[in-house]
Amino acid sequence: MSGTKQIFLTVNGETHEVSVPPRKLLVDVLRDDLHLTGTHTGCEHGVCGACTILVDGQPARACLSYAVQMEGHELRTIEAMAADGELKPLQRALHEEHGLQCGFCTAGIVMTFEAYLRDNPEPTEDEVRDVLSGNLCRCTGYQNIVSAVLKAASEMREEAQV
Amino acid sequence: MTDALEFSHIGKALPRREDFRFLTGQGRYLDDIKLPGALHVAFVRSPHAHARIKAIHAGEACALSGVVGVFTGRDLAQWTTPLRLAPPIEGLHPVEMTTLPVDKVRFHGDPVAVVVARDRYIAEDAAELVEVEWDALPCAIDAVDALAPDAPLVDETLPSNLVSHQSFSAGDVAGARSGAARVVESRFDLHRHTHVPMETRGCLADWDGGQSHLTMHIGTQVPHPMRGQLAARLGLSETQVTVISPDIGGGFGQKIALYREELTVAALARHLGRPVRWREDRMENLMAASHARETRCLTRAAVTADGRVLGLELELTEDFGAYCFYPANYMARVIAMILTGPYRISNYAFDVKVVLTNKCGNGPMRAPMAITSWVMEGTIDSIARELGLDPLEVRRVNAIRASDLPFTMPTGEILEDVTPLETLEAAAGAIDVPTFRTRQAEAKAEGRLLGLGLCTVVESTTYGSGFYKAAGIPGSGHEAAWVRIEPSGVVNASVGLMGSGQGYETPLAQAVAEGLGVSPDQVRVHMGNTDVAPYGMGSRGGRGATAGGGTLYLCAQKAQEKILTIAAHMLNLNDMQGLRLHEGEVERQLTGDWQSTGIGLADVARRAYLDPLSLPSGVKPGLDVSLTYDPPPMTYSNATHACEVEIDPETGMIRIQRYLVAEDCGTVLNPVVVRGQQQGAVAMGLSGALFEQVVYDENGQNQSATLADYMVATACELPNIEIIPMHTPNGRTPAGIKGMAEGGIMGAIGVIAGAVNDALAPLGISVEKMPLSPQSIRAHLRSAEKSGGPKF
Repeated sequence: MSGTKQIFLTVNGETHEVSVPPRKLLVDVLRDDLHLTGTHTGCEHGVCGACTILVDGQPARACLSYAVQMEGHELRTIEAMAADGELKPLQRALHEEHGLQCGFCTAGIVMTFEAYLRDNPEPTEDEVRDVLSGNLCRCTGYQNIVSAVLKAASEMREEAQV
Repeated sequence: MTDALEFSHIGKALPRREDFRFLTGQGRYLDDIKLPGALHVAFVRSPHAHARIKAIHAGEACALSGVVGVFTGRDLAQWTTPLRLAPPIEGLHPVEMTTLPVDKVRFHGDPVAVVVARDRYIAEDAAELVEVEWDALPCAIDAVDALAPDAPLVDETLPSNLVSHQSFSAGDVAGARSGAARVVESRFDLHRHTHVPMETRGCLADWDGGQSHLTMHIGTQVPHPMRGQLAARLGLSETQVTVISPDIGGGFGQKIALYREELTVAALARHLGRPVRWREDRMENLMAASHARETRCLTRAAVTADGRVLGLELELTEDFGAYCFYPANYMARVIAMILTGPYRISNYAFDVKVVLTNKCGNGPMRAPMAITSWVMEGTIDSIARELGLDPLEVRRVNAIRASDLPFTMPTGEILEDVTPLETLEAAAGAIDVPTFRTRQAEAKAEGRLLGLGLCTVVESTTYGSGFYKAAGIPGSGHEAAWVRIEPSGVVNASVGLMGSGQGYETPLAQAVAEGLGVSPDQVRVHMGNTDVAPYGMGSRGGRGATAGGGTLYLCAQKAQEKILTIAAHMLNLNDMQGLRLHEGEVERQLTGDWQSTGIGLADVARRAYLDPLSLPSGVKPGLDVSLTYDPPPMTYSNATHACEVEIDPETGMIRIQRYLVAEDCGTVLNPVVVRGQQQGAVAMGLSGALFEQVVYDENGQNQSATLADYMVATACELPNIEIIPMHTPNGRTPAGIKGMAEGGIMGAIGVIAGAVNDALAPLGISVEKMPLSPQSIRAHLRSAEKSGGPKF
């Protein structure tokens, strides 16, 4: 139980060497060992989606994997979004549409749609709601998150055409 | 009312300041605060609903590497005092609880011991190794059973499980009944909910032995009351405790009380001389944080043939769970007090019982009076149904009109500056009732079930000190603020509120900017640190805007007066007459126009701080102004919700086709934030009415302690909500603010029940029990089929 394993984790393009117990959850290693506290722990059983990050470009629950399973994978977290201080279209749209309140679920939602909009640039409202159903939000009632995603998708399409 | 209120900053749709840090992962929630060397705790919890603690064996747990110690109720009893609740309220029994149970546990999940270890993993391992010898006791799970004479006693210091009982009567209820064309009886059974903030509870306690000082990092809605509680229970003075609330991932009323786990953590930090932290896991949060709402009501309405209510009686029973963190009548009292809400009813009686059971203790959950509007509007719908009248007409017949205001409710509550009939007409007009009825009839012919609900809400928002005094609850409804113009002319301000995600930073800056005469960009509002903020009552109910925003607005006005007094002196004027501060510049009114004087706020600030000998006589150096404000005993907002549903008879699924709210919540500080609160409250109300449910089995085992069992609505189940703003100012509050944020829950529960019952009325079904799950709808349809109704 107390033994630790030396691993290399590639997060947001940077590779870190960390020594972690094999049972330590990825979300805890990101937060405690790499000090990337933007990823939040909401339920620790994979339902709420607050801890969603990208693993090789696909959304995954950081509370459902062990850090030691992540060697050789590319991880991306909320800290990679707007790293230059400039909000990305979805973040900007969430701000403009008031798509967040307490902000605890927000990182997971941004990461979920970072992947989704990349692969599905023209979603319908129903499709957005379907994808969003994997992330619980207790504050907003989702309405403004949905409109923000649709707005971001439209802006990203326009940007892509320019 | 005055449409003449004109504001420069109040009411502007500014986007929120908090967003950037939350959108980029830079919010600072409790777990993001690191203290080196902090120990972690895990709680050992009862597997029984009711059991005596015979012995606790911690040897094996203590032997685990990394474990610092295991502590029990006996240890905590040496370090802390019990919580005693004994307000002088007739019919309410005094109760007392220790920090951790010593002799017996009272519900599944009750904490019985605490493990302290180097990290959370080890603490949880060790918690598994703590062995408790139990002597299981019979339990009281259902409130009705708990009132039986031979029911097991949840609290053995009480004569029965009836912890609180109040009755009231105004007017002539018996006379109303005897003179009535009909007495209509209706029942309402609202199930047990829990708050589910996305961030669970947690805290980080840091004891400074050298200073004998505790710093408690904790997401709390009420920093100063929390400090007072911590100090009192730890035997410290308020000078020895600082409470710091970081960003909070949702509260909804769950983050008000000082819970036993939090007090335990603080006591351990002091005992061990090390920082100690706790992060509740989701199972604990669902099982043992606090629950809410479980209430049964029965109404009897004495009515005339045209549906006018001559008299109303309410019988209410609330299942309060096992422990009282609040006076047990606290939530139920408000329901009974404001039940008659939008209607002109003068003969009214209630009987309110609050019962202890072996379940998690109750706390106020966003809209502690959530059931109110369902009960009142459900009663109106029953009247319409029994008398064969149009439900909209029955509402109109009974509605309080503008000419009735101010209206004194039978409980003595005064309604003024409310518009319930206006919102009703607006909502009914927008949803177009006649057209809906046509569609409904066409659908019925095709075997489809459409329904329409209407629910008018009168929401108690800001509770002033007058309310607390009348209720016999110790405490105050006032709020406190300071506004400080710094030597450079920028503005710091503070208030005793603490937001848990609503987005206070922007609207409160707008209130300060308005009162002071600067741009909101110049203002920063500091909240959550008891050493920085003035002693205030914190955030609860709908008090944020009126109490918090109102106090800041008044305080900023007071600061502006001082600024203008100094400016007048600088301009060689006798007084500040004809001067104003506008966008940070001192302006003078000359022949009707406001003209620049060339003096800015920074010039005045510089003089006030750095050249005090040049100030006018009698004016003290500095620009540091503080103020307290006590709102009226109660402020009210109102709204009408309208909702169309279609029920799939084969699955029992309810689809919301349209949902709208016409709302009057007074002067709005920031419409972006208010709209977000309206949508969020409706969503929470619908989620609770349709899906969420805390389930206990007959042995008191909690069956809903994961988010796969306690179902919170997702984006697929909730509708878009249309809002019709119809705001009119309150004549007695600063800037006409009324407050809001809970009424959406009241309206959602009432309107969805009304819509479902309207859809099912042709089948003779009337649903009296929530949640309105597909299973429950199907059960009703099956029983209707059996009694000869159409088959689905």
